[in-house]
Amino acid sequence: MLKIEHLTKTFGTKKAVDDLSLHIQPGEIYGFIGHNGAGKTTTLKSVVGILQFDEGNITINGTSIREDPLTCKKQFAYIPDSPDLYDFMSGIKYLNFVADIFAIPAQERQEKIRTYAGLLELTGDLAQPVSAYSHGMKQKLAVIAAWLHSPKLIVMDEPFVGLDPKASHLLKQMMREHCDGGGAIFFSTHVLEVAEKLCDKVAIIKQGKLIKAGTMEEVKGDDSLEEVFLELEAE
Amino acid sequence: MLKVLIKKQLTEVFKSYFYDAKNNRMRSKWAVAGWFVFFIAIMAGLLGGMFTALALSMCPGLTAVGMGWLYFLLMGGIAIILGAFGSVFNSYSGLYLAKDGDLLLSMPIPVKTVIAARLTNVYLMGAMYAATVMLPALIVYWITAGPTVARVICGILLFLIVTVIVLLLSAILGWVVAKISLKLKNKSFITVLASLLFIVAYYVVYFRASDMVQDIIQNAGAYGTQIKGASYALYLFGRTGEGDWMAAAIYLAVTALCFAGVWIVLSRSFLNIATASGKTGKVRYTEKAVKEKTPFGALLSKEFARFTSNPSYMLNCGLGVLLIPACAVLFLIKGREIAETLNQVFSGMPDCAAVLLCASLCLLSSMNNMATPSVSLEGKSIWIPQSLPVQAKTVLRAKTSVQMLLTAIPMLLAVICTAAVVPASLPVKLLLCIMPLLYSVFSAVSGTVAGVRMPILNWTNELAPIKQSGAIMITLFGGWLLSIALAGLYLLVGYKIGATLYLLLWSALFAVLSLILLKWLDTKGAAAFSAL
Repeated sequence: MLKIEHLTKTFGTKKAVDDLSLHIQPGEIYGFIGHNGAGKTTTLKSVVGILQFDEGNITINGTSIREDPLTCKKQFAYIPDSPDLYDFMSGIKYLNFVADIFAIPAQERQEKIRTYAGLLELTGDLAQPVSAYSHGMKQKLAVIAAWLHSPKLIVMDEPFVGLDPKASHLLKQMMREHCDGGGAIFFSTHVLEVAEKLCDKVAIIKQGKLIKAGTMEEVKGDDSLEEVFLELEAE
Repeated sequence: MLKVLIKKQLTEVFKSYFYDAKNNRMRSKWAVAGWFVFFIAIMAGLLGGMFTALALSMCPGLTAVGMGWLYFLLMGGIAIILGAFGSVFNSYSGLYLAKDGDLLLSMPIPVKTVIAARLTNVYLMGAMYAATVMLPALIVYWITAGPTVARVICGILLFLIVTVIVLLLSAILGWVVAKISLKLKNKSFITVLASLLFIVAYYVVYFRASDMVQDIIQNAGAYGTQIKGASYALYLFGRTGEGDWMAAAIYLAVTALCFAGVWIVLSRSFLNIATASGKTGKVRYTEKAVKEKTPFGALLSKEFARFTSNPSYMLNCGLGVLLIPACAVLFLIKGREIAETLNQVFSGMPDCAAVLLCASLCLLSSMNNMATPSVSLEGKSIWIPQSLPVQAKTVLRAKTSVQMLLTAIPMLLAVICTAAVVPASLPVKLLLCIMPLLYSVFSAVSGTVAGVRMPILNWTNELAPIKQSGAIMITLFGGWLLSIALAGLYLLVGYKIGATLYLLLWSALFAVLSLILLKWLDTKGAAAFSAL
């Protein structure tokens, strides 16, 4: 589904991501963990075509994001760490805007909006301007927008920040269902307990370099993910 | 603390002068100096030059008959109107809507310091505009009447008084708009409507200013006696400029008192307004039939929604939308008369009226520059167009199209009205219709190019890209200069080749430049946008 090969991205003289390679298969929830400034967001932004990378290759179902970004972008959805959406639109207008870009037929989009907005308890607020939304509501709107076009791959940067416990729980369920249906999720998080329970695979990044990756069992063994992470960080 | 906050705000205002966003690095000292020379040339050269000419036309006559106070009253009045007009539209958003409000209020900074910093920003903007009137007025007076100590010191005090009056007017209006906005649903349009009434009043005064000034100069004695008798305060205001210590002291005291009053009102209401979420009721969502749009249609609608949601954006970048149709009506009614007068004045230059009216339509077209700040207004949400499956060139075309549509449609009406009444040959009339439309296209495309080349994405106040960026300065004043050049070159040499060829050459130039810039936007511009 998503193949990252030897990804390198430099800002000035600092290598934010250094020769990073990962392969995310259909059906996998892939967690991406690391300390602040480790290179998680840079990697995710490179995957979704926001950042131009210096070396390496990123392919989504065999298509290079660099060579054919549009084909790639049609296959994934992205939720950034801070849901800066269009404040001047209402929630429903934003969802319709995204749906128009993905050319989702009217009936299909309405059904999906009804389903996901109902699930995340945002239906009543869809007519409100996004500027009136709380952080959590914006995050919910970004989640609905991401699920709207049934993407094969969903890339999320700290998706649980700002969500209330119920919405967090629902999002985890949605993630699992998405992957059970053949999709894949690649997301970063600092909440190691969530990663441990939710992820099929996990990658740990430190100073731009991948220091450990694999199935949850392979990475943590008999320890907790937190113990392994702290141990690796200390090395 | 205050110094730090003011420095932060000024850094934001002049950020594009110091920082090259395209190459993500600070500009060289020479480039910074160049930008500031350009800025000063625009402010001092264009506005300052205009008011120096006005001061020179009034000062000697009024000073000679002992009516220097009337001269200062008139120039001071113009400075207050211009200064208030210049800063009135940023006082509301600058004082209450800055995005760093929550951050600053959460820090150990006294609220009064935050207000003072924001007021200083409003003050500096107003003072900058007022200075373009008052500095030439004072210098011309000192040269004409002689620079005594009293005249120089009181003149400087008068300048300070004028700038504080501008600040007070802007702050009061900002406060009123803020109070009203909290209770309104369609606040964008109502703010625009209220502001437009202000603009209409401004332009009525502006267009009648020349006649009024002439009338006042000719009947200075009568008006002087009337003003002095009816409003001694106005007389004292003018006397301050003449070097009257008592008048200066009274005005300083009154201005200080007024400032204290406004300060008390602002500091008491600031927190409530700045942190209010509005008292309008919640709109309940009801599912409605959806009309599907193409990606380009969706992007175009998005740009229109952004434009109509923001009063500052509409007022600062969309005045042409109203001025062009207003001018169309004016030309339809008075066009023939204006054209005949122009043709008589420039009798040796055939079809001069057609060219000059054409240039005036281009000037009005320059009042629309909504495409320029639209890249910067993406701000932190730029990840949306960058991560969605839509080409960057389509995004840029949507931004350009908004300006093209909002300018070309009213312009079509204006050129038809103008061509209908201007006495000229058919080819000239045809070119009179084509050229302003081509100029509108060029203006929109070049505006987007400027926006892509000089973006400001990490603003805390949307006025930074809308009103204070280098890109907007270039497109607005560049458009004015181009329109003036269009008229001026014809009067200098263009008439020798005739209006048809002259307009044809300009039309061809705008068409070719538009195509080149469109090509650039589709290729390098799109790449630059993707890399922002």
